[in-house]
Amino acid sequence: MRPILNPSAAVCEPCTPADSPRTLDGVRVGETICVVDVDGDDALAIRLLEMGLTPGVTIRVVGQAPFGDPVELELRSYRLSIRRAEAARVTVR
Amino acid sequence: MEHLPLGSGPARLTVVLLGNPNTGKSTLFSALAGIPTRVGNYPGVTVEEKIGRLRHAGREIDLVDLPGTYSLVPQGPDEEVAVNVLYGRQPGVPSPDVVVAVVDATNLERNLYLATQATEVGLPLVVAISLADVSDRKGLTIDTAELSRRLGCGVVRVAPPRGEGLTALKDAILEAPAHGKPPALALEYSEADAGRSAAAREAIARYRAIDRLVSGVVSRRPAAPLPEDRIDRMLTHTLWGSLFFAAVMLALFSSIFWLAAPLMDLVSGGVDAVAAWVGDSLPAGAIRGLLVDGVLAGISGVVVFVPQIALLFLFVAILEGCGYLARAAYLMDRLLVGVGLSGKSFVPLLSSFACAIPGIMAARTIENRRDRLLTILVAPLMSCSARLPVYFLLCGAFVPDVAVGVSFLRLPAVVLASMYALGIVVAAAVAWILSSTVFRGPPQPFVMELPSWRWPQAAVVFERAREAAWSFLYNAGTVILAVSVVVWALSNYPQNEDRIAADMQVERATIEARLADPSTLETDRLVLAEELAAFDVPDGPARRGAIQRQSVLGRAGLFFEPVVRPLGWDWRLGCAAIASFPAREVVLGTLSVLYNLSPDDDDAEGTMLARRLTAARWDGTDRKVFTLPVALSVMVFFALCAQCASTLVVIGRETGSWMWPVVTFTYMTVLAWLAAWVTYQFGTWMGW
Repeated sequence: MRPILNPSAAVCEPCTPADSPRTLDGVRVGETICVVDVDGDDALAIRLLEMGLTPGVTIRVVGQAPFGDPVELELRSYRLSIRRAEAARVTVR
Repeated sequence: MEHLPLGSGPARLTVVLLGNPNTGKSTLFSALAGIPTRVGNYPGVTVEEKIGRLRHAGREIDLVDLPGTYSLVPQGPDEEVAVNVLYGRQPGVPSPDVVVAVVDATNLERNLYLATQATEVGLPLVVAISLADVSDRKGLTIDTAELSRRLGCGVVRVAPPRGEGLTALKDAILEAPAHGKPPALALEYSEADAGRSAAAREAIARYRAIDRLVSGVVSRRPAAPLPEDRIDRMLTHTLWGSLFFAAVMLALFSSIFWLAAPLMDLVSGGVDAVAAWVGDSLPAGAIRGLLVDGVLAGISGVVVFVPQIALLFLFVAILEGCGYLARAAYLMDRLLVGVGLSGKSFVPLLSSFACAIPGIMAARTIENRRDRLLTILVAPLMSCSARLPVYFLLCGAFVPDVAVGVSFLRLPAVVLASMYALGIVVAAAVAWILSSTVFRGPPQPFVMELPSWRWPQAAVVFERAREAAWSFLYNAGTVILAVSVVVWALSNYPQNEDRIAADMQVERATIEARLADPSTLETDRLVLAEELAAFDVPDGPARRGAIQRQSVLGRAGLFFEPVVRPLGWDWRLGCAAIASFPAREVVLGTLSVLYNLSPDDDDAEGTMLARRLTAARWDGTDRKVFTLPVALSVMVFFALCAQCASTLVVIGRETGSWMWPVVTFTYMTVLAWLAAWVTYQFGTWMGW
């Protein structure tokens, strides 16, 4: 089952085992995906969670900087930029 | 609205403004309190302290603007200070009575993260929904009454640009103590996260609670696409966005490079006029020398930076206010991350090409301590405008004007460009080495909000520029002035008349001997004759030269000659390099005096000095002092050295420690000496 995204809500449908997890750094510009988890418990992981990248939230990859890094995200109706190395810590589907 | 009776509670309320960065907190502060009564750093840390005062309904309110923070689980000194002030643990700041949580209406969920954490502090709370005007245009409606009921505290909509909600907010602040502390938001921790840290579990549970809190409170009606959405698409476009970025940075750079120039001329012209007046009204002597050449020249050397600082901060505040500064950092991050810096280092480093002082001050916009310190340490390596006169003079006089490959590419221009490249390459190398050794640590997160586009607020912009200029004058200016006066004294005293007379006699004899020597070139003869004429002017340049040669500084030059000899320099050059400690461009003035030239006599291009330098010979020989390798080694030295007391003082002020200027001076001087030595030895070996 594909996740059904509701554009007016920040939160997407619950995960099913059929969804193959991947990380946020591999997501193409323009795609909308759903956060499964943030890996780790260090300062970076906590900051990503505090900025709203919590399990179940929908993220749209809006763009990337001219050299391909960092990436620009839209989530919880605001824009956030993170480096690809940091995006690799976020599991999405 | 019900008001508390006057005189109830403490006489004066301490109210803190808590909020995420980019929430319109500074705008709200200006609207409530106007110009802050206290600005500076919290003791021991370089975190900005801003306190203002206002009166409402007969009560005095001290308003503390906390540094922007995302969470009360602090990461970094800014957030630590915010938390300490909030809990009354910050020395010098009274325990707060009321917390005002500023919440961006267009970004409610993430802003409520901090606001709901604030419900757990145990203080009366008021939530100010800022940027209400922007959210209206976006078609967002927030049911403030319902949100207030759910949060259990006052919720006020504010739009400072049009004055909306300010009175209601002040009323709510005065009423808040009577309502007591709000209930903490109920968090449900999930079993699935049991193995994670407390902070991670809190974040997940809090957002779940916030999603419930806002559901039904916010309604969205479809709004026409806003102009800022179209602008945003264009400005982050790979081609148009990059071109626009280049244009903005060019405008920023030219404004501090060229726009500031007339203002700087005005400043130095004004000080010159005062100096002339003082010079005319005082008899010649020690007092006049101290006032005119020591104190007034020192004041001029301080005030002259103010136009650049004010202009740069105007520009930076505008870029920050409209949300472009974060986008500039986003665009440039990849280039700088490779050498251990971050995208936010770009504007400070670019500004340093005009002058390192505003550049180092602009590093305040870098929240990350490590990135900020690294940026400050390498900023003085960017070739600033004070190095240009040195490059121009030496390139023009000693680099042969020949074509390099193609006819229009001349060697002096190539050398000039190489000096800029040298600074950039060395800065990149130093940043990379420092970040992988002394500053090695876990990777610094670059999680950065790209704020929505908005109009910068004039009050905030001007306050930023005024504060930057004032803090420079007040904190750094006094120290810079003291350094200038000390160096002036060292280069003019002691004045031993016997030694001065003897020195003049020796100089005169040397010139006469060279004039008598038939092998002396005809061009040199003209220069030497001019120089000889200076000896007949009473109290003229020849006497000044002798005073300087016999001063503490002149003798220091002789003493240090073995140190500068490997660079191909004679003691006069060493002396000029030491004298240029207050500012690099002083090297030319000092050289003029040492070569019996009055600095005021010289024309703007320094051609008279160039001719004197060309004619200069090693003492007692006919070997030229200034050859191409020597000129190159001087330029390389000045490209990399830290001969700028003002920069070092500002580094001390901005880092809050005198260790960093010492580190900067040491590493840059060692680097400059080594690079100049390599340049001279290589040039000599190549037979240039």
